Amino acid sequence: MRTATFAAALGLMLGMVGSSVAAPSKAKAHTVTIEDMRFQPADLVVAPGDTVVWINKDLVAHTATSQVGGFDSNLILASDSWRYTVQKKKGDFAYICTLHPAMKGTLRVK
Amino acid sequence: MKYAVVAVAGLLCYPSAAFAQSVTDAQIASIVVTANEVDIDAGKIAEARATSHEVKTFARLMVSDHTGVNKSATDLVTRLKVTPQDNPTSQSLKAEGDKNIATLKTLKGDAFDKAYVDHEVAYHQQVIDALDKTLIPGATNAELKALLVKVRPAFVTHLEHAKSLQSSLSKGH
Repeated sequence: MRTATFAAALGLMLGMVGSSVAAPSKAKAHTVTIEDMRFQPADLVVAPGDTVVWINKDLVAHTATSQVGGFDSNLILASDSWRYTVQKKKGDFAYICTLHPAMKGTLRVK
Repeated sequence: MKYAVVAVAGLLCYPSAAFAQSVTDAQIASIVVTANEVDIDAGKIAEARATSHEVKTFARLMVSDHTGVNKSATDLVTRLKVTPQDNPTSQSLKAEGDKNIATLKTLKGDAFDKAYVDHEVAYHQQVIDALDKTLIPGATNAELKALLVKVRPAFVTHLEHAKSLQSSLSKGH
């Protein structure tokens, strides 16, 4: 009886461990390359909990700054990168490089 | 006829005449460094003297971006052991840059902003033309050529930015 309870408890614990591992494993890692004064891809679909890394391959500094709030990388220097974990709020987050406002991108949180 | 076209093109933008010669990697290195330096110098003056907030912001960007480009160029030519060699194109860029700064120093207010921005439009167009017609095709070393290709989009973005400032300044006054 005691053994059975222990086994059940263990099973429950393992199940919990299993599910807690499974949740973050669904989170995807995305990359946006900043090159030739462009965000590539400019349009990216992500889910809450995903990570997005902006890698600056240009010779000049850039930013990835949401125009509707939510995220702002501040300066991403040449050859540097910035990692962002997507927050819960869903919707389209249009962003620009504040230094070069012609550079535009959108993070679509679904 | 062909000569006439070349002559007219030369008159329209005289430094291009100097670009239209074959260049060595050492000369290209000097042209790139000089081109960045003259824009950094003009940007520093405009950062301090421009009236419009947008023009000041642009000037600050020119200083930081061209400093970044120059650092990459200098690092590369140092690694390649290329010693930048003075040449008619780099000399004319320098002379024109000095002339621009002398003019800017006599101006204030909106006239300063307009003169600075007008020159930025012309300057970036000139450098893009030089990259396309002379520097990129003329570069022998593959890494130098790749660097020139890599800097081009920044100059294009700056040109568009300067043109948009030019048009907003002319509407504003």
